[in-house]
Amino acid sequence: MNSYNIDITAVSENAVLLEWPEVICEMQHQHILLCKQQILAQYSDKIIDVIASYNSLMVYYHFEQLPLSSFISGLSKITQMGQGFQTVASAENALLSPVIIDIPVCYHPSLGIDIEEVARQTNCTIAQVIKLHSDKVYNAFALGFTPGFCYLATLAKKLHLSRRENPRIAVPAGAVAIAEQQTAVYPTNSPGGWHIIGQTPIAMYQASSHEFEPTVSVGQQVRFVPISLDDYHNMAASR
Amino acid sequence: MKSLTNGLTIEKLNGHCAIQDQGRDHQQHLGFSGSGAADLYAFYSANKLLSNSLNCAALEVMMGQIQLKANNTCTFAITGADCFAQINGLDIKHWQVHTLYKGDCLTLKQPKNNIYTYIAIAGGINSTPWLDSQSQTYTEQKLAFGHPALKVGSDIPVTHLATGSTIKSQQAGQTTNAQLPESFYQHPLLTLRFMPSPLWHKMTTQQQRFFLQQTFSISPNSNRMGYRLANKNPLTQLSKPMTVLESNKLSKPVCYGAIQLPAFNSPLILMKERQTIGGYPNIGTVMQTDLYRLSQMRPGEQVKFITTTIAQAQQQLATFNARFQ
Repeated sequence: MNSYNIDITAVSENAVLLEWPEVICEMQHQHILLCKQQILAQYSDKIIDVIASYNSLMVYYHFEQLPLSSFISGLSKITQMGQGFQTVASAENALLSPVIIDIPVCYHPSLGIDIEEVARQTNCTIAQVIKLHSDKVYNAFALGFTPGFCYLATLAKKLHLSRRENPRIAVPAGAVAIAEQQTAVYPTNSPGGWHIIGQTPIAMYQASSHEFEPTVSVGQQVRFVPISLDDYHNMAASR
Repeated sequence: MKSLTNGLTIEKLNGHCAIQDQGRDHQQHLGFSGSGAADLYAFYSANKLLSNSLNCAALEVMMGQIQLKANNTCTFAITGADCFAQINGLDIKHWQVHTLYKGDCLTLKQPKNNIYTYIAIAGGINSTPWLDSQSQTYTEQKLAFGHPALKVGSDIPVTHLATGSTIKSQQAGQTTNAQLPESFYQHPLLTLRFMPSPLWHKMTTQQQRFFLQQTFSISPNSNRMGYRLANKNPLTQLSKPMTVLESNKLSKPVCYGAIQLPAFNSPLILMKERQTIGGYPNIGTVMQTDLYRLSQMRPGEQVKFITTTIAQAQQQLATFNARFQ
């Protein structure tokens, strides 16, 4: 693995931001998740939370229990250690979920309300858009925006479109959408500016009174499986 | 001995009222907002007056205008925005402990200054927690996790201290000199001390000076999620080059107090109900003790910026926390 510069910056009284190079890269993201694991293991109860994104980790910590200078040098060691791993591949395999999560999607234009427009803008047929979107296995790079909203990448280059000029006030739960290099499923009804190309009948999280379990977690892999409108309605009805 | 009762019922509400504790900063990795009490100074003060543990959930009332009826004896402390509170029509002292007896009505009017009033209950509020916090987040309420949104008719469950509390409370109408901590807040101009980000250091001295010279007024579309700042001189001369400088940047986790500069918009300071990840250029982070002050300021009131260091901000926050230990 090439060595690269990782910037470590204290951004507030109790937060340190670690930044990797500005690329969406599965190998690099595996290193980020490895570092996250190490930080949690090494500092456990002094950590409030660690949040991963495409090329960064935000570490919230109890600053009164952990002096900043020693914390930063500790973080620096953790990031170097990961980079130096000869067996980085095996460390990554340990992190990678071997299971690919299949998400059924109905791409019918009555549900994928932007798919015709996406096809037009990308000079594809609808069938090509569906194939390009469902042929790939995506990596889950970040959870955020709304609870359970998982940023998946990397979308086929042919489908890269900037966000809609007029974001929708309401996007339905289960909407499968694309924007730039990313794709995602809206877990709940929410506003949204991405292009909606389909709809999944499955829930994107399970919640009990004490737990919230997203269907897709950061670091996992996802594949979209096309289904018919009839299948969609049957699955949605049996939910 | 403790027992649960529906201590209070909301009889009238002409604004927002929510249950808040310190929030759920530890659940941001799932996409949940950190949330929590907007003004920790007033929130902690209320709990401290009652000798509660500091993180006991309290009512956070926005712009007063609420009437609560006691279903049982209930000792409470009231802090934050002064809403000319009355018990059964008699004025009570602000920033003090009082007792409501069964059938008593506590009424809050609209405050002249500040925004949030805290009503902490001796023993605490016993609402349904969600992911280890009782804080309610407005934008997540439609998800229906935790305690339902408060409205007229809502009962507020309290942990009733049956053995009688030893806390001294004031009688309604009684006139002792309350120690009002006006010194904590600064109106109408607050200087926000912020810790510069790496992007700040990439700005030219001229750009930095320009930003520090501005007086911003708080824009009406500010809320618990973020405070938007308006300015006479459009900031696009600053925000546009910043957007270009940061154009290759991917979305990153964002923290409480982050100062974002959207290209064609005014600066936005992220507050308690911020989202967990964001993509706008970020020039620094306002220190937390100043964010508590800012949260009590209203649209039209003014702020300026001055730089500080992480060490100074940590020192301020440690001193602040020590006051309540």
